Amino acid sequence: MEFLLEIITEEMPSVHVKGALMQLENRLAEGLIANKLVDGKDSFGKIRTYGTCRRLILHGGFVEKQQDKQETIVGPPRSVAFTEDGSATPAAIGFAKSQGVNVGDLEIIQTEKGDYVGINKIEAGKPTPDILEQILPNIIGTLSFPKMMRWGDSSFRFSRPIKSILCLFDRKSLHFSVNGVPAKNFTTGHKIYSPKKLKVETFAEYRALLKQNGVVIDPEERRTQILKQAEKKLARLEAKLHPDNQLLEKLTYDVEHPYVFLGCFPQEYLNLPLEVLSTAMREGQRLFSVLKGKKQLPYFLGVADAYKDPKFLIRKGNERVLKARMEDAKFFWEQDVISSLKEKSKKLDQIIFQERLGSYQDKTDRLKKIVAYIADRLELQAEKNAATGAAELCKVDLMTDMVREFPSLQGKMGGLYAKEEGYAILVWKAIYEHYQPVSLDDSSPSSMTGAILSIADKLDTIVGATGVGIEVSGSKDPFGIRRNAHGVCKIIQEKKLSFSFPRLLDKVINTMKDRLVREKEDVKYYVLDFFKSRLQHIFESQGYRYDLVKASLAPGLDNVYHSYLRLEALDSLKDSPQFGPMIKIAKRVNNILRNQSQYKVNEELLLEKQERELHTTFSIIRDNILPMIAIGDFAKVQRMIFRMRSSINDFFDHVLVMADDKRLRRNRLALLQEISRLLSQIADYSLVVIEG
Amino acid sequence: MSLQNLIMSLQRFWADQGCYLAQPYDVEVGAGTMTPDTFFRVLDDRDWKVAYVQPSRRPTDGRFGENPHRVQKHFQYQVIIKPAPSDIQKMYIDSLTSLGIDLQEHDLRFDEDDWESPTIGAWGVGWQVLLDGLEITQFTYFQQAGGIDLSPVPVEITYGLERLEMFLEEKDNIFDLNWSDDVTYRELRVREEKEFSEYNFNQADVQLLHSSFQKNHREAQRLVDKGLLLPAYDMCLKCSHFFNLLDSRGAISVTERVKMISQIRVVVNRIAQKFTSQEVSA
Repeated sequence: MEFLLEIITEEMPSVHVKGALMQLENRLAEGLIANKLVDGKDSFGKIRTYGTCRRLILHGGFVEKQQDKQETIVGPPRSVAFTEDGSATPAAIGFAKSQGVNVGDLEIIQTEKGDYVGINKIEAGKPTPDILEQILPNIIGTLSFPKMMRWGDSSFRFSRPIKSILCLFDRKSLHFSVNGVPAKNFTTGHKIYSPKKLKVETFAEYRALLKQNGVVIDPEERRTQILKQAEKKLARLEAKLHPDNQLLEKLTYDVEHPYVFLGCFPQEYLNLPLEVLSTAMREGQRLFSVLKGKKQLPYFLGVADAYKDPKFLIRKGNERVLKARMEDAKFFWEQDVISSLKEKSKKLDQIIFQERLGSYQDKTDRLKKIVAYIADRLELQAEKNAATGAAELCKVDLMTDMVREFPSLQGKMGGLYAKEEGYAILVWKAIYEHYQPVSLDDSSPSSMTGAILSIADKLDTIVGATGVGIEVSGSKDPFGIRRNAHGVCKIIQEKKLSFSFPRLLDKVINTMKDRLVREKEDVKYYVLDFFKSRLQHIFESQGYRYDLVKASLAPGLDNVYHSYLRLEALDSLKDSPQFGPMIKIAKRVNNILRNQSQYKVNEELLLEKQERELHTTFSIIRDNILPMIAIGDFAKVQRMIFRMRSSINDFFDHVLVMADDKRLRRNRLALLQEISRLLSQIADYSLVVIEG
Repeated sequence: MSLQNLIMSLQRFWADQGCYLAQPYDVEVGAGTMTPDTFFRVLDDRDWKVAYVQPSRRPTDGRFGENPHRVQKHFQYQVIIKPAPSDIQKMYIDSLTSLGIDLQEHDLRFDEDDWESPTIGAWGVGWQVLLDGLEITQFTYFQQAGGIDLSPVPVEITYGLERLEMFLEEKDNIFDLNWSDDVTYRELRVREEKEFSEYNFNQADVQLLHSSFQKNHREAQRLVDKGLLLPAYDMCLKCSHFFNLLDSRGAISVTERVKMISQIRVVVNRIAQKFTSQEVSA
């Protein structure tokens, strides 16, 4: 039977809507299962959600009621309950009374132990509406949002105030309320065009009626409408939207009735960089910029929550506001280019990066050293000068008017001003890209100079903040340490940068001189540990198995890129037939070595054939793979290690490790210890979970 | 419609909704939220309905009267209702309609924009209201003020009067607005903008401002101890204004900024706490 729920609220942020719909769907499904209203997995497919910034909508098809429950209650044996002539004994009368039935209702129940009297009780299943009325207030009332508010005088919290609830089961409204708002059988139309009550009985009717009254409930439908209308408006210009998925997503939820309008702005503003224009359009007014090829056109696209714009009032209003913003931007650009970046950089010492870590001039001095160090380690002599040159100027744009007005343009503006001044591409690109990636979804710098500068900047912040005692805890992360660490890992992984991570940390720590409050070693190990936990998070979010991630990170973070290669190698072999047996035997080696002191192998004491053979195989393999480990060819390394398995097996089958002779015992343990040491440079196999 | 007609229309509208019409407060503030008719009145659990014009000073926004949109002093129309009526959004929409705006011909949007004022320990959840892309109002459900959780929850509606008037007159330049039929915004304000911009950016005596900040801060603390909360709060408002002036003189580093804001907040929070505990005992 059909179920329909609509919660109308004041305007919620788009991320809130999406999160709440997912929670609603999951928790209602859980509630149905818990109350035995779902027969198998099928019914899950019957829930669908829709939504706008003002509506959370859920539509489903559920069974009418719980299945009836049949229960057999067994009483005394037939021979005790009835005399031979068939009359009831006090035992039968007592049992009947205790069950609230007449003696005549008792039935004979055949069991393995013979005939008994008893009754078959049928408990009627609860009707679905009763159950829904019971569970819905709690499901709705405990939805969680990234930021919640109270209203009125209750302590109830939600994304935005709840205005009304529509809830129907089989055409009839259910009876419950949430924070004093009762469920009813009507919805309301578009806030401006049709703010009236609309009574409905079915979902089809609901959807159609809302459409007539200015509301398209399906986000996909609205998105398609926006894109189609945009395409139509742009066809004549042979242009297309500057792609911006985040903005499209937001607008899809922000409007209930999308109307796309095309506006224009004076040609003169086209002299501004595309980045500035699109930021001015996006922030504040939520407008798309319009491109022809890669060229910005003097047009923009807006999405209004409206039917149409016959008098062009919406378009003209937006044009007026945008013109003012562009006038501002132009003013900022003109002010900013009056003096050169070099000239401006003289004032870097006047802005504080962090009280103990000094000014941005201090940070700049450190960045130059760190960048030069990384370039040397990676043998990038061509990039070294460009990267240090970029480091020198990369923070200057913090003092420009443009970045003060549009903070999201930091870095980019510096790059654009450097380009304007005629700096080489390796320099201005590095400045432009050095905040990237700003999240795990953002792309890494395209230039190697940008990559190096970005790593240097982020590590300076992480090490500095950690070293003066600022730590990440829960939602508190004022210096974006987590985000910065993600950025560093992402760049290293994508650019395949292989270098000693602890030594780079030493370098960064040393550039801090006496600014740090904590001990140098402390800071280093804290940061290493922090990166390990971040890598674990990153790898798992990339879909790698939890235990493989742990096993690959166990050898330590000597080289961040190698941790990734270790994991990749382990992951690529996890389905091979040798994998399970090899893990098992590695675990066996580790188990036997537990709580043993360290010993040394004496070749003369290798008496048995199998232990000599294992020693020889091991030595050859070790000599072969050590150089491979050094260059990070872990796929090859793992495959070679697998070849040792039969020798270890033979060893365990024929040689008694815990021999009575102390010298033999210690020698055999020593051999296993050497093997274990080698394995631990590749992965901690004992952390890998295998079945059986 | 002239600016003064706009003000009169809003006064009429909100008086009809039962608001008491207050007069502007006479100490410099950066926003209407900071005035006592808002700050103190949201702290207790009594019903409260007020509406008033409040001049707001933001020294760093000065542009010597040369920018068509930015000024270092503008006028807000502030509405506070506690508890927020359940149909407050509709009431607000009606207020726009009462100005003669046919919303079916425009695009009215409530765009997520949560508000926060660290200086007075206040934050709220709400929207910037955009009319054809122009931000005309800040609409906020207060959650906290003076570091205290507010219950019942008040709603604050702050209209930017010049913005709204620019929309109504379809003007591109703030100075072209008509204050009345005969007097333009330019005639009234352009000299003030020029002189104050020069003062805010170039002339204000940094030493004097620093010491005034500290003296007023000390005075605020002394007055809180004496239980004179309204005068103590005035001192905090003065501190806030001195801080804003120092900021526009470029005389505050990032760390100083954090420190000075927290200096004010600590006193404001004490004022709020004392105020609510007095309320309870009274």
